[in-house]
Amino acid sequence: MDTKWNSTGKDGGENVEYFVARRDPEAQKGARRSAGRLKAAAGFLAFFLGVTLTVSSLGAVGERIAWERDPIPRFVWDWQETQSFRDEVSHDLREFLTIGAGGRADFDNYGYWLGDGSIVEQEEAYRIWWGFGSPATEAVAVDRGIASSESEPEFSDSAPAEPEQDPDAAFRADKNVLYYIQGGTGAERREYSNAPGGKDFFLEAERLRRSSMIDWGEVPREQKEYNFFLTFQDGKVSISKDGQDEDVYGSGFYHSGSQWFVPGYDNFPASEQLSDVTVYMAVRQSPIRYYSVDYKNGGTYYNSSMYYLAQQVYESYDFYCAQAIAFAVGAWGLVIWFLLRKSTAPVNRKIASWTVHVWTEVRFLLMLGCALWAFLPGFFSLDVVYEVLYGYPGERGASFVQWGMAVLRLVTMNLPALLILIWLVWLFQNDRRYNPKEARRSLLRPFLRGLRARELKRPVEKRLSRRAALMALAAVVLCAEVLSILINLTLTGYPSWILWTIYLLPVLLAALAAVALARRELSLSKDLGRLAGQVEAVRAGELSKPLTLPEDADLRKTADDLNDIQSGMRAALEEQTRSERMKVELVSNVSHDLKTPLTSILSYAELLRQEELPPAAADYARILDEKAQRLKTMVEDVFEISKAAADQLPVQLERLDFGKLLRQTLADMDGAIQRSALTFRVELPEEPVLITADGRRLYRVFQNLIDNALRYALEGSRVYLTLKTAEGLAQASVRNTSRSELPEGVDFTARFVRGDASRTDGGSGLGLSIASSFTEACGGTFRVETVADLFTVVVTFPAET
Amino acid sequence: MNECILVVDDDPEIVGAIAITLEREGYSVRRAYDGLQALEACLDPAVKLLLIDVMMPRLDGLSALLRIRERRNLPVIVLSAKSEDTDKILGLSMGADDYVAKPYNPQELVARVRSQLRRYTSLGDMYAEGRQGLLVNGRLCYDPASRVLRADGDEVKLTPTETKIVDLLIRHPGQVFPAEEIYRRVWNEDAFACENTVMVHIRRIREKIELNPKEPDYIKVVWGIGYKMEQHG
Repeated sequence: MDTKWNSTGKDGGENVEYFVARRDPEAQKGARRSAGRLKAAAGFLAFFLGVTLTVSSLGAVGERIAWERDPIPRFVWDWQETQSFRDEVSHDLREFLTIGAGGRADFDNYGYWLGDGSIVEQEEAYRIWWGFGSPATEAVAVDRGIASSESEPEFSDSAPAEPEQDPDAAFRADKNVLYYIQGGTGAERREYSNAPGGKDFFLEAERLRRSSMIDWGEVPREQKEYNFFLTFQDGKVSISKDGQDEDVYGSGFYHSGSQWFVPGYDNFPASEQLSDVTVYMAVRQSPIRYYSVDYKNGGTYYNSSMYYLAQQVYESYDFYCAQAIAFAVGAWGLVIWFLLRKSTAPVNRKIASWTVHVWTEVRFLLMLGCALWAFLPGFFSLDVVYEVLYGYPGERGASFVQWGMAVLRLVTMNLPALLILIWLVWLFQNDRRYNPKEARRSLLRPFLRGLRARELKRPVEKRLSRRAALMALAAVVLCAEVLSILINLTLTGYPSWILWTIYLLPVLLAALAAVALARRELSLSKDLGRLAGQVEAVRAGELSKPLTLPEDADLRKTADDLNDIQSGMRAALEEQTRSERMKVELVSNVSHDLKTPLTSILSYAELLRQEELPPAAADYARILDEKAQRLKTMVEDVFEISKAAADQLPVQLERLDFGKLLRQTLADMDGAIQRSALTFRVELPEEPVLITADGRRLYRVFQNLIDNALRYALEGSRVYLTLKTAEGLAQASVRNTSRSELPEGVDFTARFVRGDASRTDGGSGLGLSIASSFTEACGGTFRVETVADLFTVVVTFPAET
Repeated sequence: MNECILVVDDDPEIVGAIAITLEREGYSVRRAYDGLQALEACLDPAVKLLLIDVMMPRLDGLSALLRIRERRNLPVIVLSAKSEDTDKILGLSMGADDYVAKPYNPQELVARVRSQLRRYTSLGDMYAEGRQGLLVNGRLCYDPASRVLRADGDEVKLTPTETKIVDLLIRHPGQVFPAEEIYRRVWNEDAFACENTVMVHIRRIREKIELNPKEPDYIKVVWGIGYKMEQHG
């Protein structure tokens, strides 16, 4: 059992192996095919994503850059590293120094004294309008606000001066900026702070900063939330951020590149008033929103500028990072597509096979609509047009940068529409690439084709001269247009003598050139017409009249070439005619020269036979006579076949009944047929089979064919003669079984070819050749088929109805 | 008998062979070897028939024939190596009475000579009489009343069927009759597979009336259409 089991198992395994081996190429082919499909799909997907992502990311970045008035740092994550932050801190320091010097904080010239929330609304409005927050500097100006109980703007000037308020009241509630201000000495000593613990907060923070031994984890929460510290002491500012001291003054001179607008520079020293002022400032790492309501005096204190600045920086950072990632992904997609671009053709072709059905007009309208959707709002937005034409309102002339920005704004106005437009263009470009012009559909094309067909009916010179005239007309109209503009400018008092000198001469020259060229074109088209006519004449057989064009005509060389061709053709034709005539004459002469001695031979052979001769001599005479007779037939056959070969065989074509002709031929040869040992199986239709042929020649064809059968068919076999009509053809065939073996690959219709190579029989070897030549001279076809010993000749004529 | 025949050919052997053949038949023969000699020899009124080749030096046969025709009215047989229909027609239209292509069959040649001589000499009166109702076609003369056919003056013995066929064809010279029609008219029966029957009879008639039954002058096959009697002058 075991062994049996093993053997069957083995067998089975082998079978499976065999099966797998056989299947393998198929499977591989399938795998290759599916891999190719996968590659195509992946390549196309990569292309699609690549284009879409790169264009949309570039567009989005371009749009942001084009619209922003004040640049926000891109790719800066730390909001405290922005100039806006430094300006804000410098501004706050100025306020604190003012307070320290005994003054009041100046709450911004253009501060809004509005009710609660409206400024936030303004902020939101900016977001909605521009797509991003209002610039930081504006935020500083706008956000610094105290909403007093008198909400009317007209009281705004007096409000800050209210005596019962502390000078630093506006800052007291600030959670983002902590401060400690100390100014004056003795009784005049002033101290203001909003920090928990006042001065100690800063001293503690500084101690922590200075001591490298402290573990940051043990630092109290308050100090940890503030990472930016500024100290103003002894007329100098020192800044520490994240435990690192910053270089505030640089070279010591304040200039436009300096980051901090604070006193202490050589050219911007702290004034005497600040000699005893000390300010500590701390800025929160992550600003928050805060509100504080003064319930006694009314109004709400808040300062969100730091918060918004941070938010903007974060948002900007996120935006640019996202766009950069999108661009990178898109660029990789393009790279992948580039590597696979060869294999994406099937997908493109497939898409082209869908788009081919879209009418050209529809394509045009789609693209036009999409372009309008993408760019028209930009054109209608006067701002853009105005900028493009004149630069910013009020400015005269636009710089290249402004120009570029305006164009960028126009292009990125509607990114989705732009993308769709790009893909539409790609789709129809793809369609043009894969679909032939004829396959594309158009409503207009039949109309245009009709016009073109009508135009083509005119002779070529008419067409060309019309076009030349139209072009000249267009040129002249253009020139007139330019002149009229010049005249108009002159009339409106524009200082135009420069314009006249610049434009008048070229315009006149252009008009003259257009007219002159058109005249040249007209003469060319006339010559072209003559040339075309001559080509047609030559084709029709005009070989004697050459075409002469003027010496300086553009087509002179072509005309001469055509004349050469013409004379060459004439020479060739004459040569051919002469050689044909010579050939026929030669054949005729040779035939005559052969027949003359043959006549003597035959005559004397006959005379000899009439003599009383000894039996042997009589036999010789008989042989001479027989062979001379055969020679006579051959000479006549050769003569006829030569004429047929030279297409000089006279034929008298008439309508005749093919069936009747075959019956007559059989009847005519009945004696020979009866004498032979062959049986003829004849199958002819009763009704007439009308064809056009020369009856005598065709009789000769079938005489030869039957003679051939009588001569070469196997004794006692059957010869089949049939006539059939099918598909407008009358087909007569003669079939017989050959007596000797038929050699393969022999053209039996060639002259002197015989199935039996020994040539000892009575045939001339010309019978089938004559039959073939005569059939063709009558307009029929002659075909010999041999299958083993079966010899078939098929003679076919077009049947008439 | 013993009519004098002028044989003209540039090939002396051919002239000799023809002369021997004709002399054996009892004619006297004169020989000429080009057209000019032929013109000269023809002036002798003893010459009753002219056998002339076409292609000859000095003066070709057809030109000589034209000139001879101006002087004499005698039967002329043109002998030529050119066997085209056009050559034959040209020769006959220039005044020849018969046309024999080389290489000829001596027996046929003799028959044609005899036929021509009989028509010009012994039968001349009969033709001149122009008897009413007699149908004359070249060598043939048919009397529809008695249904007697004569060839070169000799009565041709025909069977009744053959006589009917000849009667039909000779009354309508040039007209082509399909075998079926001949059969219907002669046998008075519907035709069915009659081609062979008609052909057998026509072959027999030809053997009786034609000088060369293989190349008949009178009863001809129009291949694919039918049969007809050709009209001769």
